Amino acid sequence: MPALRVNPNRMELMKLRRRRSVAQRGHKLLKDKLDELMKEFLARIGEIRRLRAEVERELLAVYGSVAIARAEAGRASFMQALAAGTPVELVDVSERNVMSVRIPVFQVRDLPTPGGYSLVTTPAILDGALGAVGVAAPRLIELAEREKAIELLAAEIERTRRRVNALEHVLIPQLNDAIHEIGMKLEEAERSNLTRLMKVKDMIAAQEAESAP
Amino acid sequence: MALKVAIVGDATSVAGFRPLGFAAFAIDDPSTARDLWSELESGEYAVVLVTEPVYEVLADLVAENLDRPIPAVTVIPGAGSAGGVGKAKLDGAIVRALGTTALVAEV
Repeated sequence: MPALRVNPNRMELMKLRRRRSVAQRGHKLLKDKLDELMKEFLARIGEIRRLRAEVERELLAVYGSVAIARAEAGRASFMQALAAGTPVELVDVSERNVMSVRIPVFQVRDLPTPGGYSLVTTPAILDGALGAVGVAAPRLIELAEREKAIELLAAEIERTRRRVNALEHVLIPQLNDAIHEIGMKLEEAERSNLTRLMKVKDMIAAQEAESAP
Repeated sequence: MALKVAIVGDATSVAGFRPLGFAAFAIDDPSTARDLWSELESGEYAVVLVTEPVYEVLADLVAENLDRPIPAVTVIPGAGSAGGVGKAKLDGAIVRALGTTALVAEV
C-alpha cells in the first residue's frame, strides 16, 4: 500500500484529521447500506428460487400440451393458427427505489384473448394449451421482474462492498499512517528545537561566565 | 410507460405466446439470435424471455446489460432442453453478491 505523500506541518495534519473523520463516517454509512442491501437480497432469494422452479414446471406442461396439439392438427395448420396475433404493449413499467437501487416494476395488463384461427381445423387441446400459456405468462413476467431486481441488487452489493473495503483497508489506514507520520515529525522538530534552545542557553551561560570578572 | 414482452427461441417453444400478444421471435438456429439483440435491447421491450440454447449464444451480450433496469432478460427452458441454465444465471447473481451460493439454502 503506497503511503500518502504529504507535507509534515500542522495545517496538513488538521486537513488529514478532517478527511479521516469524513472517511470513517462514510465507511459506517456504506457498511449500514451494505447490511441493509444484503438483508433485502437474502429475503428475496428463497422466494425467487421457488417461483422459478414452479414456472419451469408449468412451462414444461405447456410445451407438452402444445406438442400434442401440433401432432393432432398437423404442423402446417398448427403454425398457421398460431401465426395470428400481433405484439402489443403487455406491461406498464414503473420504478421503485430500494436503497438507491432503481428496480423496475412490471404491471401486467390484460392479455389479449387468443383467437383468429379456425376452430374446425385445430384440435380442442390447442385452446387448452393456449389457456395454460395464458396462466403461465403473468408468472413469467413476475419472474423476470424479480430476477432483474436480484441482479440489480447483486450489482449494487458488489459496488458497495468494494467501496467499504477500499475505505476500510486502503484509505483509512493510509490516512492513519500519514497522521502518525506527521505527528512524529512534528514531535521530532519540537525536540530538536528544544535541544537547540538548551544548547544556545548553555553557550550564553558559558560566554557570560567567561566575560565575568 | 407501456412496453412489449419478447420471447426468443425455437418455433415450438415460442408458438403459444404470439396469440397472447407477445413478440415471438422463432429462430431455428440459435446463433442468429445475436442479430436480433440490438432490437431486443432497444428499449421497446420490458421483458425478454430467451430459451436456454439462445441464452448460451447471447450470454455475453446479456451480461453487459445486467446493470440496466430494462430489458429484464430471463432464461426459460425451451421445449426439449436440459434445464438448469436459468438457475445457474440466478446463482451467478448470488455469487456476485455474496461470493458463494453456500449461504443460501437450496429449494
